[in-house]
Amino acid sequence: MTSTHKVTFDNAAPVEVPTGATLTEAAALAGIVLNQPCGGQGRCGRCVVKVQQGEIRRRSTLRLSEGDIGQGYALACQAVVEGDVSIHVPPQEKLERRLVTDLTASSVAIPDGYCYAEHQTVQRIPLRIDPPSMEDQTDDWSRLQRSLRQTAGIDKISISLPMLRKIGQILRDGDWEVTAIVEKSQSRETDSARLLDLFPIHFPKEKPLWGVAIDIGTTTVSVWLTNLITGQVLAQTAEYNQQIQHGEDVISRIIYDSKEHNEGVLQKLVIETINKLIERACQRAKAKPEEIYKAVVVGNSIMLHLLLNIPAATIRTSPFINVFNESQHILARELDLTLHPEAPVEVLPTVASYVGADITAGALSSGIADTEKTTLFLDVGTNGEMVLGNKDWMVTCACSAGPAFEGAGVVDGMRATKGAIEEVWINADTYEPNIRVIGGGKPRGLCGSGLIALLAELFLAGVVDKSGNINTTLNTPRVRTGAHEGEYVVAFAAETSHGKDIVITHVDIDNLLRAKAAIFAGYVVLAEGVGVPLNTLEQVLIGGSFGQYINVEKAIEIGLLPDLPWENFHFLGNTAVRGAYYALLNWQSKQRVNEIAGKMTYIELSADNAFYDAFMSALFLPHTDLSLFPTVVKLKEQNQQG
Amino acid sequence: MALELPKDKWSGSVQEVVIGATAADGGTRTAAVTVGGETTMPFVHFEAETPNRPVLALEIKDFRPNDWSTLLLDVWGEATNDPGAWAKAAEEAGADLLLLSLSLTDPEGNPNTPEAAVKAAKAVLEGSGLPLMVYGPGQAEVDNELLVPVANACQGERIVLGICEDKNYRTLVATAMANGHLVVGRAPMDVNLSKQLNILIKDAGLPLDRVLMDPTTGALGYGIEYGFSVMERLRLAALRGDAMTQSPMSVNVGFETWKTKESKVGDDVPETWGDWEERAISWETITAITLIEAGADIVILRHPESLKRVRAAIDNLITAPELS
Repeated sequence: MTSTHKVTFDNAAPVEVPTGATLTEAAALAGIVLNQPCGGQGRCGRCVVKVQQGEIRRRSTLRLSEGDIGQGYALACQAVVEGDVSIHVPPQEKLERRLVTDLTASSVAIPDGYCYAEHQTVQRIPLRIDPPSMEDQTDDWSRLQRSLRQTAGIDKISISLPMLRKIGQILRDGDWEVTAIVEKSQSRETDSARLLDLFPIHFPKEKPLWGVAIDIGTTTVSVWLTNLITGQVLAQTAEYNQQIQHGEDVISRIIYDSKEHNEGVLQKLVIETINKLIERACQRAKAKPEEIYKAVVVGNSIMLHLLLNIPAATIRTSPFINVFNESQHILARELDLTLHPEAPVEVLPTVASYVGADITAGALSSGIADTEKTTLFLDVGTNGEMVLGNKDWMVTCACSAGPAFEGAGVVDGMRATKGAIEEVWINADTYEPNIRVIGGGKPRGLCGSGLIALLAELFLAGVVDKSGNINTTLNTPRVRTGAHEGEYVVAFAAETSHGKDIVITHVDIDNLLRAKAAIFAGYVVLAEGVGVPLNTLEQVLIGGSFGQYINVEKAIEIGLLPDLPWENFHFLGNTAVRGAYYALLNWQSKQRVNEIAGKMTYIELSADNAFYDAFMSALFLPHTDLSLFPTVVKLKEQNQQG
Repeated sequence: MALELPKDKWSGSVQEVVIGATAADGGTRTAAVTVGGETTMPFVHFEAETPNRPVLALEIKDFRPNDWSTLLLDVWGEATNDPGAWAKAAEEAGADLLLLSLSLTDPEGNPNTPEAAVKAAKAVLEGSGLPLMVYGPGQAEVDNELLVPVANACQGERIVLGICEDKNYRTLVATAMANGHLVVGRAPMDVNLSKQLNILIKDAGLPLDRVLMDPTTGALGYGIEYGFSVMERLRLAALRGDAMTQSPMSVNVGFETWKTKESKVGDDVPETWGDWEERAISWETITAITLIEAGADIVILRHPESLKRVRAAIDNLITAPELS
């Protein structure tokens, strides 16, 4: 005897279904469409609903935590009706945020307790100076120095020749009421302060005093234009590093730079890039480049050498030595930057050839250097740099991941812009994909997160084996043998914006596997080096533009991230430029970066076989040692049964 | 005072694998061969007995090979023209089992055919009662084309099909499953890659008691140290309980040593190199014994004299020395 039960969804009219029906079926009867990217297999968790009254039986709770179940959440496709129930369907977009774990960086928050007067090295000081007379024959510069000492307690101050030529006129134009822009010397006690500029007027207090934080990435340069008085970031701009035209990775840049007739070319290109970004930021914030009185620059070692036009050839060849690691203090005019010519340009310290100031700054801004928790901090770009440790100790290494996760080196790869497939689900029975495209239109290619999701889904659905081989014997038109051995068609020509098939090939998969294996091997070596098992990590902090879009769950499934609870992962966006921004505001933060750089122990991965072994071991889905990925093993088993 | 030898305690052991089926098990072999089962490192007698001796296979071909040393062609003589006769000669020379390695082409240079491969395998099974391994010529597509019909024709004989590699294992595993055979997987001298291949083969459905692994090795003077170290690490992992490294190891010593200059070239070599044949046999023998000490369970050879010498060495190794 089959009985029927009444199912009520929110305010919809109740429907009657027999025992054993799923909530998905009931919802369809009630005219409610539940998203089911995975085709109702209980894998994607998109059809989460909340049981408000009554009980249902959960066939699978794969996507739900115990807390979720306690609160009544259930997957509609896995929820079997066995009595009268009342169901709430949460708004879809909320779910997506919850499930994709897209914890992107929030807008820039001013560091707690920022005090311009106390922390800022560049100060705008209004002065009222006693005019000279027959009785007081003190020279102009001494007079200005005396006033600065009396007004601002600045004992020792130096001045450049161009400024010296101008001050006499400015003091008289302002009738001895002037404003000095001064770089104080807290960070360098033995040095004197410097007079950067002098104006014949007093400014309103609310007029900003500008500074910039600059991150020079191998691929992208980012600039944060900041009001040094309030600490507010008023414009953020980013742009490709124009050096790309002479090589996509640091090695080819070094090679280019080492050729005699190319001397200075890369420096010129990066400075052009920075000037352009500053110009754009200034337009947005209604500022002028020459009103910017301070810059802090971070970047990897090679980018910093090239910025300063320092030969970088020794970084490329064993034993991989930088010309300098220490932080540098340079003037804008020495670099042809369009800032105020006297503006200090602080270059933050590096640790080693492949662990640059982007990492020392990132270690500051990510908080790894201040936490009690055992933390892994990853900065994934073309190179993967990582730091393991806490406030007491830190080890660091760098490995070359290649550009696969940035969509390069992959047949249909692209950047994460409009038209990129950013999410994929594959039905394990039909092998049909379900995709989400940035901007919502027809797809044009696959970006990093799309590639990660695709590889994870191909693996879980059994389209590729643990070695990444595509099973070309499957009965589906999606799988075929193409120019690069086996391939899987993510979107057929008719479904794409450019009228061409979007595929992932065996070669692409090999590239992705190598990229993820290099990154995973990096932290395995770090962790083994200090005897910290990966499963004891208390948090994983992920920086780099790559980190903003990546889906933790999929990244774990392919063995890119360690198998830890999702809540242990935090995405921080561009940690490098944020670290530069902290150092820009606060001289103590800058000192802190110097301390951090001194504290990090660098592990050179090419020094022994440990990295190679870890890399070969990681060149598998999810890993040769399956005991490192218990949840993935479980998921795969459930998938095979289901 | 008696010397107390410290003993390691291992949690794992090598998988025991049976090759060949007698009439009682549905085949026609006169005896089956059992390999593996070790519970310690090789020949560490004071920790445990060696349950199964390393076994020696002789390699024979379906057609008289044109790329083998004249030393080998001379010693096997007329038998090289007939796989059945060659199999019989190899059994008489003392082999424990046979490897039939299929050629890419026939002597006229025409592509080998499934029919010819089946015929050769049948002839070998008729010529000798020893358990059989059959390898394809080493090109994925041709291997699959030749080995599937051979596997079907030899159903029930529990032969070893080879060689599975990470890019080409599905077909061989499927046909081994369908016909009750075994497979050997080969990875290029890397512990992780060997292990990964075993995982792939197991995932494809073949139970691990029907899987052998060829860790790939080099001949004496051609990377044997690295091969030795990889085998040693695989065996250590197996004994520590890693199931995916517990397959018995098979090494193709004949293939590796007979391509070295020292074995191949008789003329225009320094006088100090000595007699050519003696040198070639020694090269094969020393490589084989070295790898047996690294943990090889199956050693494939080409020269009957090498087989005799390796056999004698195994006899020595297998008996626990008197400790005084």
